[in-house]
Amino acid sequence: MVDEIIPKYWYNIVPDLPEPLPPPRDPPDDERSKIDLLRSILPKEVLRQQFTVERYVKIPEEVLSKYLLIGRPTPLIRAKGLEDKLNTPARIYFKYEGATPTGSHKINTALAQAYFAKEEGIAHIVTETGAGQWGTAVALAASLYKMRSTIFMVRVSLEQKPMRKTLMNLYGGEVFASPSQLTEYGKKILEMNPNHPGSLGIAMSESVEYSLRNGYRYLVGSVLDLVVLHQSVIGQEAMKQLELEGVEPDTLIGCVGGGSNFSGFAFPFIGNNVGKEYIAVASKEIPKFSLGEYKYDYPDSAGILPMIKMITLGKDYVPPSIYAGGLRYHGVAPSLSLLIKRGKVRWREYSEAEVFDAAKLMIESQGLVPAPETAHAIASVIEEARNAKKSGDRKTIVFNFSGHGLLDLTNYESMMKRLRE
Amino acid sequence: MRELVAYDTIGYPTDEKFLAFMKGIVEVGASAIEVGLPPAYAKYDGPVIRRSYRAVNTRKLEMGSVLKELRHYVDVPIVVLSYVEEHLANVKKFLEEIYSYEVDGVLFPDLLIDFPNKVEEIATITKEVGLKNVIFVTPTVPDSFIVTTSKLTDLFLYYGMRPTTGVDIPIGIERLVRRIRELVDKKIIVGFGLSDENDIRLALSAGADGIAIGTTFIQALETGGVEEALAKGRKLMGLLNEY
Ligand SMILES: Cc1ncc(COP(=O)(O)O)c(C=O)c1O
Repeated sequence: MVDEIIPKYWYNIVPDLPEPLPPPRDPPDDERSKIDLLRSILPKEVLRQQFTVERYVKIPEEVLSKYLLIGRPTPLIRAKGLEDKLNTPARIYFKYEGATPTGSHKINTALAQAYFAKEEGIAHIVTETGAGQWGTAVALAASLYKMRSTIFMVRVSLEQKPMRKTLMNLYGGEVFASPSQLTEYGKKILEMNPNHPGSLGIAMSESVEYSLRNGYRYLVGSVLDLVVLHQSVIGQEAMKQLELEGVEPDTLIGCVGGGSNFSGFAFPFIGNNVGKEYIAVASKEIPKFSLGEYKYDYPDSAGILPMIKMITLGKDYVPPSIYAGGLRYHGVAPSLSLLIKRGKVRWREYSEAEVFDAAKLMIESQGLVPAPETAHAIASVIEEARNAKKSGDRKTIVFNFSGHGLLDLTNYESMMKRLRE
Repeated sequence: MRELVAYDTIGYPTDEKFLAFMKGIVEVGASAIEVGLPPAYAKYDGPVIRRSYRAVNTRKLEMGSVLKELRHYVDVPIVVLSYVEEHLANVKKFLEEIYSYEVDGVLFPDLLIDFPNKVEEIATITKEVGLKNVIFVTPTVPDSFIVTTSKLTDLFLYYGMRPTTGVDIPIGIERLVRRIRELVDKKIIVGFGLSDENDIRLALSAGADGIAIGTTFIQALETGGVEEALAKGRKLMGLLNEY
């Protein structure tokens, strides 16, 4: 059964896009090629996957065995409780990525990248993390492959979520608050503002710089095509699981930080023409879809990485500090940006208050605490289910439950205090 | 036997050396030559070719006379490489100008990627003006686009396998070539970051009809002049003749 559901290949949507995907680029005035620099930043095989575009890429046996170890395939669950609570004729299913040991989908690519780094003889990997989900995934992947890991965590998140640090430490990772004094870029930011709350873009630049300086390798948590490729296990499993249940999905929904869980979930459906509509959900407080521009921009704030064409709020974007809903990254994966621009994928944005209500409804009806990021997707699921009730539509909604929120309780605490009189 | 397409930036390092290299490389066996015009933004070029653009940009260059003289030296197809972004305001005028210099074709590396909706229109103007189209595709071009746009290409389809020229990014060459070989029945010339002999062999074995080489020649021109560049060319021809 498991064998039937776990895919043997990763799926790449690039050959099936409606238009050519603009490639990463060096800026006009570059002294040293940033594309060239990638060779010192990423594990070689990871870089090869970024630029060798095939529809299907074989998953190494060793990575497959780790997928099994962490409990893949993740469950596909019918949210009967939520359906009943909303009294909707729609059927609602979710793919529960919260079931992995680290509590989110991020482990799907962390394992693959760590494996390739290990094969290359790398002993130490570095990355950044915002909410801590990605950092945790990297720390676990590093420990499974007996490598060391260093994680730069956005300062406000680290202060709000000390438990995430504990978990990363338990997996053997070392964690620093970013901006830090450990890198030139971090020092520069702190000189300008010693109380800088940090951002994912800054933490990313710090990790890349730290990794380059020490001859380590950097692992990418989202945005780049190679990450989206690895995450395609989510959607492929979900398609198979729906097929086994005899269910035809109509609407597919996921939340968007950098775009990896949404794309990993929805692209296999889109590429294979399964489903009728696809909805990508972000936060009103970090309004990348409504206010972002589709242009070439840097993934990291220091501009160490090559420019990529994406929907972006700008590389120096700093999200509002008190906002606790996650999804704070300034850009959207290039392939997803293209699909949104061409109208193939629709978008929604919800406010923190709407997201909090959605999380509560999920908790009350299904007993599951979603990550605040995931709760954005749930807000959209609820809206769709309510619309279905109005129109009497018996459609099937499937969403990606990207992570659980058991280590995000301080976020909910903060929302409860601020949002409820 | 497979083909060599040789690239140099117009007038680099000097008009005389450029012309001597081009003449020589055709004698060595190149089946077409590509001439790069310095753009404001060399979007898909690595540091070496960018350096060559800057160098020729700083001196007064008579593009027309250099191209016309080149025509006297060589009888293989001459393809001008230029970023279409620079000519959007008046593509037809640019193409007519190029045509007046007696070159054969034009290659716009950014046409498909940045202006996918203009491909047909611009390819049609190119033909009307009397020039041949050399369509440029990359691995990030979807299958359906590769199939339709490859029909528009005249001399060959140019497949840029890496994201930028002259930078040796690790890629799965065989897999990349096989993917497009299945889709296209035109001649496929592969290029971009191609210099390693083993890479070239992999591309040829996987079905490429030839290779386009630029950065390697420019580096040789810089270090050892025309002679060294031509020696490189002879070596490459030897390799191509094995197939
Ligand atoms: C649980 C969870 N969902 C979603 C995201 C958003 O990232 P992405 O859009 O790359 O999936 C994150 C990012 O940290 C996350 O932790």
